[in-house]
Amino acid sequence: MSEIKVLPKGASKHVSLGVYVHVPFCAKTCDYCAFYQVSPTVPMLRQYLDGVSAEAGMVEWIRPVDTVFWGGGTPGLLSPGDLRKLGETVKANFGGVPTEWSVEMAPASVTEARLAVLRELGVTRISMGAQSFQPDLLAALGRPHTREQILRAYDRIRAAGFASVNIDMMFALPGQDEAAWLADVREAVSLAPDHISTYCLTFEEDTALWVKLSEGKVKLDPEREAQLYEKTWEELGAAGYAQYEISNFARPGHACLHNLNTWRMHEWIGLGPSAASQYAGWRGTNISDLAAWSEKLGRGERATEDRTALTPGLLLEDALVFGLRMNEGVDLTALRTNHPQAPWAAVDQLAERLAAEGLATLSEGRLALTLRGRLIADAIGTEIMSAMETDLPA
Amino acid sequence: MEELLTRNFCIIAHVDHGKTTLSDRLLEYTNTISKRVLTEQHLDSMDLEKERGITIKSHPVTMTYRAKDGRDYKLNLMDTPGHVDFSYEVSRSLAACEGVLLLIDAAQGVEAQTVANAHLAFGQKLKVIPVINKIDLPSANLELCIRQLEDILTIPGEEAILASGKSGIGIVDILEAVVARIPSPRWRDYPQARILVFDSLYDAYRGCIAYVRVFSGSIKANEMMMLMSTGQRAEVKEVGVFTPKMEKCGILEAGDVGYIVSTIKTPSEVKTGDTITISARPATEMLPGYKEVHPMVFCGLYPLESDDYEKLKAGLGRLQLNDAAFVYSSESSLALGFGFRCGFLGLLHMEIIQERIRREHDVEIISTYPSVIYHILKQGGELLEVDNPVNMPDPGTITEIREPTINASIILPNDSMGDILSLIMEKRGVCDHTDTLDMNRVMLRCQLPLNEILVDFNDRLKSITHGYGSMDYELGEYRVSDLVKMDILINGDPVDAFACIVHREKADGRGRDLCERLAKIIPPQMFKVAIQAAIGGKVIARDNVREMRKDVTAKCYGGDISRKRKLLDKQKEGKKKMKLIGKVSIPPDAFIKVLRND
Repeated sequence: MSEIKVLPKGASKHVSLGVYVHVPFCAKTCDYCAFYQVSPTVPMLRQYLDGVSAEAGMVEWIRPVDTVFWGGGTPGLLSPGDLRKLGETVKANFGGVPTEWSVEMAPASVTEARLAVLRELGVTRISMGAQSFQPDLLAALGRPHTREQILRAYDRIRAAGFASVNIDMMFALPGQDEAAWLADVREAVSLAPDHISTYCLTFEEDTALWVKLSEGKVKLDPEREAQLYEKTWEELGAAGYAQYEISNFARPGHACLHNLNTWRMHEWIGLGPSAASQYAGWRGTNISDLAAWSEKLGRGERATEDRTALTPGLLLEDALVFGLRMNEGVDLTALRTNHPQAPWAAVDQLAERLAAEGLATLSEGRLALTLRGRLIADAIGTEIMSAMETDLPA
Repeated sequence: MEELLTRNFCIIAHVDHGKTTLSDRLLEYTNTISKRVLTEQHLDSMDLEKERGITIKSHPVTMTYRAKDGRDYKLNLMDTPGHVDFSYEVSRSLAACEGVLLLIDAAQGVEAQTVANAHLAFGQKLKVIPVINKIDLPSANLELCIRQLEDILTIPGEEAILASGKSGIGIVDILEAVVARIPSPRWRDYPQARILVFDSLYDAYRGCIAYVRVFSGSIKANEMMMLMSTGQRAEVKEVGVFTPKMEKCGILEAGDVGYIVSTIKTPSEVKTGDTITISARPATEMLPGYKEVHPMVFCGLYPLESDDYEKLKAGLGRLQLNDAAFVYSSESSLALGFGFRCGFLGLLHMEIIQERIRREHDVEIISTYPSVIYHILKQGGELLEVDNPVNMPDPGTITEIREPTINASIILPNDSMGDILSLIMEKRGVCDHTDTLDMNRVMLRCQLPLNEILVDFNDRLKSITHGYGSMDYELGEYRVSDLVKMDILINGDPVDAFACIVHREKADGRGRDLCERLAKIIPPQMFKVAIQAAIGGKVIARDNVREMRKDVTAKCYGGDISRKRKLLDKQKEGKKKMKLIGKVSIPPDAFIKVLRND
């Protein structure tokens, strides 16, 4: 039970447990994507499915799983049979029925057969990466699907009867002006999904876009990005999608619990190459290489590298830094109760300054960022870490 | 006394009027140095001197010349620092002579520095031999040069020798004139030894080497000598002459120019202008004209990379060994870290030292806004000398502030007159005299506050006159002035490196300019940050640093947390390297960028 004692007590009676399964396969690499993924072959699929099974077998499942998330890669690229196999492997360790089970799907991979398997397994939520409805932008991103495929896929998902559906969209794309973006947002809204994620295009190292940026073909413009953020938040708010995190909006009752639990610094177990875990007193990431990951598991070892011990100080800091990404903000009073030894004077001083400058609100012990604050959440995170620099108990 | 067949003389000239080439021709003609050995500019050996056409250290040389009268003369040629900043050094070199060659470029005519140097020579009662150089240039205007000699310098035109250092015209005439017109060495009848120190050189092995002119008596190795300004005694280890390299000899006698190596190791103990005498039979009066030189212009010098501090310190130390007029002491600045407060004779001296630190010692440096020495009369009559704005007392305790002025001669083309007059006015100067030099040029005499010419005066003079204008100056008197200390504040905290003493009327403009530039250079901030210029408690200008608009990661899920943390950690560490002023983290190079554009 070591994982319990390092976590905040009282903040929540129950520390949620999530399972993240990384499916590292894609038909093609998108220009902006930095996730670990490869084009699958039959032996690789075997290696993968066996690996997940071996890895799940090594985890000490000490309490029931609350949420599940399959991401990638493209989980939907697995055949219905493989989806079922992966699902059964994971389910064997649930210890009950999770409240939420999300699966990411690319529009081109949404077939009735796959959806049927997922429904049968107990998947509750489908997250579809549409990114844009405009052919030229889809082409610019290197996305292998069309607007028609998105619409057809959406209809199929709805017809299959999942409790919650998300659509992922991207903005600040090269060549996309404000009008084009808002047209995309409106089209997404017109489908009436339960959840919409909007991602400002990020230039990740080792992506095709990064190369273009460093060659000067694409230019960063923070002011334009900030304006698009503001417009998006305004537009989606007006359409009935409440923002609950920087990039996430949901109709009432449809926020992604798995992700909320991440930002609240609960626990999650990662399965599959490159999957991250925060569990049992440590945080770490699996090797980002299918063969190496599988080989290690074959020797009976967890394939985690980059392990960090979860100290109370680290968890508190991260609860603040990542918690402030959420519109609900963080409950300073509760955190204070759990971490009385932390340098609260410095944190309080910073919180008051953020509030005084209109970057945050501070009410009844709860600190939440304002619209202006959310736009610079990373800078505020750095500021918090600097404030907490002193006397953090190990 | 019998006439000595020795002549001691200098060549004085404006920059680029051909002093070095002419010197080389004299050395060549007298076979002092063979043509083969003669590098293009033998006497100016430092790179910087060659580049800027100025001499920083003396390079004396002894020549032997068989004159038309059939006798062999010993001719000692003293090179002089050619710039106004070194006017004391020039005056000491002149003091070691009986005469000078005043060189005038036949195409350029008399320039500001020609006038200043000629006046220095007249002041020492030296025989001045005018030499019009470069007469073979197509643009030479002899008639004009001769008229200028007569009108501006009151030297009879028929005394001028026409020459060309480049093609060797007039070299014999010059040598003959040196022999015939310059008097034999003076003051030889003084009963005791009096030896003038006109320069010195530090040598790592031999310590301080004094460059001397013996006026009376003699000096040789193993004697005990005494420096008259301090009474310090030392044993003479070696004496010698310049051929031009240092060559040991048995004795230096009255009229000779040479060097003395003694047991003194510390360069600052041998001061230019001091008189050396023989300890056993000391002179009672020093040679005239000695004074302590004091720096007039000050600024902070900081290494761009804080790791270079020790290197900078060593470099400054080495420079000081051969430049007693340069002073420094350590200081630290909140904005710039650890560095040095440095004092210089003047602007050029400051530039030369900075340039040598960069080139010869390979340290990148940044300097703060230069300052002069202000005299501050406090209530109760106490007089303070302040050369650093940081040391300015509370304005409430000050009765008046006085600033140093200069008397400048500025020579410029007629058509620049209007612009130069406005420049002088802008710099709070007054012009009280205008001389017409020729059809195209005038000479202005004006008084300017020294602090006004420190930053861009010379550059602007050159740019307005398309390079034809020239300026020379001497220090004038201290005058009462409405000066204030202006602070630059970031969120209310003063940034020491930007404090300055300015005239009240200039404060607004300079304050606005500094605020604007700082606001632009400091990266966008999370919180509102005000940059203010203030005099006392009163804000006279302000600007705001740009506010940070967007700094947020779009995707941040379970798999991103480790990576994100590392990134934030890195940013946090980066912030630690910044200077924290007024709760604002400022990249170390922001201040440097602003100072660099100053």
